[in-house]
Amino acid sequence: MKRIAIVVIASLAPLARAHDFWIEPSTFRPAVGQMVSTSLRVGQEFIGEPIPRSAQFIDSFVVREGTKEKEVIGFENRDPAGYIRVEQPGLAVIGYRSKANPLELDAAKFEEFLKNEGLESISAIRAQRHETAKPDRERFYRFAKSVLNTGATANWQPATQSFNYRFEIIPETNPCAGTPLRVRLMFEGKPLAGALVTALHRDDASARIRIRSDKNGRVTLNLPKNGVWLIKSVQMVPAPAGTNADWESLWASLTFER
Amino acid sequence: MGIAHVRALTLALLVATPLLAHEIGTTQVTARFNRDHTYDVDVVTKSPLVRGANLSEAAEIRFGGVRVKPEVIRLPDGTIRFHGDIPRNAGPFTWRWPLTFSYYALTIGPRQQWLDGDTTSSPFPLSADLLPPSRMDVVKQYLKLGFTHIVPGGLDHILFVLGIFLLSTKLRPVLTQVTAFTIAHSITLGLTIYGLVSVSPRIVEPMIALSIAYVAIENITTSQLKPWRVAIVFAFGLLHGMGFAGVLKELGLPRSEFLTALVTFNVGVELGQLAVIATAFVLIAAWARTKPWYRPRFVVPASAAIAATGIFWTVQRLL
Repeated sequence: MKRIAIVVIASLAPLARAHDFWIEPSTFRPAVGQMVSTSLRVGQEFIGEPIPRSAQFIDSFVVREGTKEKEVIGFENRDPAGYIRVEQPGLAVIGYRSKANPLELDAAKFEEFLKNEGLESISAIRAQRHETAKPDRERFYRFAKSVLNTGATANWQPATQSFNYRFEIIPETNPCAGTPLRVRLMFEGKPLAGALVTALHRDDASARIRIRSDKNGRVTLNLPKNGVWLIKSVQMVPAPAGTNADWESLWASLTFER
Repeated sequence: MGIAHVRALTLALLVATPLLAHEIGTTQVTARFNRDHTYDVDVVTKSPLVRGANLSEAAEIRFGGVRVKPEVIRLPDGTIRFHGDIPRNAGPFTWRWPLTFSYYALTIGPRQQWLDGDTTSSPFPLSADLLPPSRMDVVKQYLKLGFTHIVPGGLDHILFVLGIFLLSTKLRPVLTQVTAFTIAHSITLGLTIYGLVSVSPRIVEPMIALSIAYVAIENITTSQLKPWRVAIVFAFGLLHGMGFAGVLKELGLPRSEFLTALVTFNVGVELGQLAVIATAFVLIAAWARTKPWYRPRFVVPASAAIAATGIFWTVQRLL
């Protein structure tokens, strides 16, 4: 009996760390004029728990169609967090930027997280400072985007526009069609080189891609199949003085269907 | 309310939220500790992790560090309920739920604790009245309940036992009847409590009253123990047992010591009946049973009074 319990705890252990954040609309392919409910999700492996709308977290929650930008409306403390109506044919992009929020993780969980997210450089800095056993005190920021496609894919250019997020995944080709997909990682307005980018298929865990950005911050993703995809990356930087945190984590994600 | 007040209030609310964690999700957990020494932990969640998960394995409920295995109940509204007995001498309650990614509240009565993902709650000590009683406590309590249900609580049972006693001045007939009665009421008390037999009190209660009238009337007509008398006392015993069961159900039985309580209640009832007989013997029969007037001047009038009371109750309980 004891052995079974230990096995179960061990198999659940990977959940015990910081989690991804993404936008999951009720459909990625709405008709023009259709109401789309927009769920925010926290989770791992593209399995996420819905997050009710919370003013405490939201810094900006908008939808862009071409040059037009609108607030995503919703009810506080309710899931789905927002509702939008796509008004023009083409691609529309939902963008969510959070405020900074504090998070504490114990040292072991934090080290495991750094390893999983390709942030070994931070782990190395901690080792250098003899801080490996020190619990993590961080502030985290979410930068999530989601692409809706009404079917008029000729009009895909708006999907490549930057939201000017501090950390952002920007498609450079049409995310909803054509292969390969090229995206660029921008950090504080500059291309971010050497960052781990992960692509996950919603219905096929085996179709995952892990790749580092090149010196221009670009990655080329040969997405092996159609379906709903999540592309994500996490960055970790030292927190500014006076924030009562050691690190700032920045979570960028992009969801779309192709 | 001025702007300064609003600001102060907002600030107070922000300070009060101990947010050092992930986003607040859809998961909500409420724990309750019940008077019948059981616990309920209700989980409301939209987390996809619960799908296909072994829920009783996932819910880590501990008392004093010792893990318990709850029963899993899916309520019609989607709530997942974990239910079980609070262990004897249970230590503080702790909770851990690995099937959420987000920050959630564990509510216990008026208290709320915020937990991030799969972290373990801080220990919640249970008040002594919520803990199951020890076996010795149960024995004492249910012996007393059984006894007091006869003396002084159950005048109808007292009269029935006196009716049995007044039949004969010899020991053997009294012993035979008391034994038949005891065996019979023990059987139906057990069967009724376990739900194997169920007869409405609207039938049982008037029949008990009638049984009192019967034994008393027969006392007037004979002082011999007829074979049918034993059978009838046995049959009435079955009815009285159902009556005891009704009372015991109202009192409630501790789940942890169900059988102990059932047996000791029955023993308490028995002791109550023996006390009635012993008192009647000491007060009257011990010195008067050999007197020529004992039967015509005492047994017959007393039995008549008991019979009248029994008939009165029968009618009253039927109405």
